[in-house]
Amino acid sequence: MHVLAVMAQQQPAQPEGETSGGVLGVFEWLGTHFIGLFNESGEQFVGLITGILPTLIVLLTFMYALTTFIGEQRVTRAVQWSARWWITRYTVMPIIAVLMLTNPMCYSFGRFLPERHKPAFYDSAVSFVHPVTTFFPYANAGELFVWLGIANGVTQLGESTVPLALRYFLVGILVIFIRGIVTEKITAFMIKRTGRTEVFADFDREFEAAKAGGR
Amino acid sequence: MSEMETHTSRAVFVKPGPGGWGRGLLLRTDGTRTKVLSVTGGGIHPVAARIAELTGAEAVDGFTTTVPDDEVVAAVINCGGTARIGVYPRKGIPTVDVYPGAPGGPLAQFITEELFVSAVGTDQVTPSTTDEAPVEDGPATARPAVPPREERPSSRDVAATVAGGGKFGQTFNSVTGVFVKFGSGVGSFVNTMLAAGRQTVDLTLKTILPFMAYVSLLLGIVTYTGVAEWMGRVLSPIASNPIGLVAISLVVALPFLSPILGPGAAIAQVIGTLMGSQIAIGALPVQYALPTLFAINGQVGCDFVPVGLALGEAKPETVAVGTPAVLVSRMITAPLAVVIAWAASFGL
Repeated sequence: MHVLAVMAQQQPAQPEGETSGGVLGVFEWLGTHFIGLFNESGEQFVGLITGILPTLIVLLTFMYALTTFIGEQRVTRAVQWSARWWITRYTVMPIIAVLMLTNPMCYSFGRFLPERHKPAFYDSAVSFVHPVTTFFPYANAGELFVWLGIANGVTQLGESTVPLALRYFLVGILVIFIRGIVTEKITAFMIKRTGRTEVFADFDREFEAAKAGGR
Repeated sequence: MSEMETHTSRAVFVKPGPGGWGRGLLLRTDGTRTKVLSVTGGGIHPVAARIAELTGAEAVDGFTTTVPDDEVVAAVINCGGTARIGVYPRKGIPTVDVYPGAPGGPLAQFITEELFVSAVGTDQVTPSTTDEAPVEDGPATARPAVPPREERPSSRDVAATVAGGGKFGQTFNSVTGVFVKFGSGVGSFVNTMLAAGRQTVDLTLKTILPFMAYVSLLLGIVTYTGVAEWMGRVLSPIASNPIGLVAISLVVALPFLSPILGPGAAIAQVIGTLMGSQIAIGALPVQYALPTLFAINGQVGCDFVPVGLALGEAKPETVAVGTPAVLVSRMITAPLAVVIAWAASFGL
């Protein structure tokens, strides 16, 4: 990679000598660099396919099968339990949601929360869909390159990505927790400022009634 | 609404634009379906306005409110990614993408020709002259007619009918029951694994490989032309100190920028890949990889707030207060995340 970059820098200097060959030289220069561009891109493509894809495919298969075996029903109770406390609401709950339902269906677990907590849960869950791809790429397989892009650079330096992945995952959990708390406070502030206190008090009563009725 | 007098069930035909996907949708209002939902990052998209005008429906800004699914004639989206593109088709709502989107992402199976059309501009929306059957209830008819597992007779019931009653029958049943259970267990295991494999290959073909092709081309161009080196010289002073990274996170989290930068995480993915190439050539120290991951992603999901809330069955009032709450919250939490990540990256 480093060598290639250095080569790329030297290339603009080369053509000066070659173009003296006239019109044909210009075309030769164009031809060389036109195909060179795509040869380089092709190498990058092969690198991604052989480096990332094989493990990714079997891991995705395993995890999809696992989530099917566990089933959405079985995690629903865990989610309802975690919805009750503010600490678990923005840690355990979004993590289970993202791991079990994956992006974008994970946000549907917001239905177990009262209206005033839904924005904070969404913020918390959506902020986890990239840290989760470090060890569980199936959970957001359409947006892998936020993590993989950076990780690929680290791999090319010849270093292991695991320490970075672990920290990204753990800091991710801390960040979604903080995000949940902050957004919950701001939502409460917005409710008050827009004069919707009564409306949301009604929603809370509806939610409690539905919960009592559901038992 | 001013179009009240035209509130008859006039049909419009929405055909795919140049480079678009799908055969076209025939849309019309009926008793309850009277709203065209515009989920295009705020405001009513001209395409949504045009559909509403021609059908006599009401155009609604999906970014500030939610509408019950059964009142929606069609959803107009601007999704170049993989999330929103599938959410409405999954609910059985006809979806009009103003970008040239095609089935992809985890919900690709729901994006069918009956429910989805893309690359649509106002020119593609025309009053329908032919009176074709209205396009509706796509997913209901598309679902296979197999009853849910709990309504099907269990293998044990089937086995019980073989040997009849009596003591012998009971023993026979308990023995065969074990085998039948084992057999069907293996069967369902194999089928689940196969389905998982199929889902993986589908996703790989439709989402991961196209992205890899595009990322490779981008990386190939920046490394071959030397743009990578040039970018490194510009970026490394910004990206290799915590203050620069906090500044990046603040910019991407600006409430008027974050919904634009969000869709499909396309921008975060491209920046991530480019930053990765900087790490590879040594322009960016490895210990800044962690804060960088948070700095380039302060806008995550900001485009998707109303849709995400609607998936959680949020009421319109919740969307009205929740969308700005999330956007404003990011102004605080995005820089904070970078600082935490920076503090956590010592010793990498």
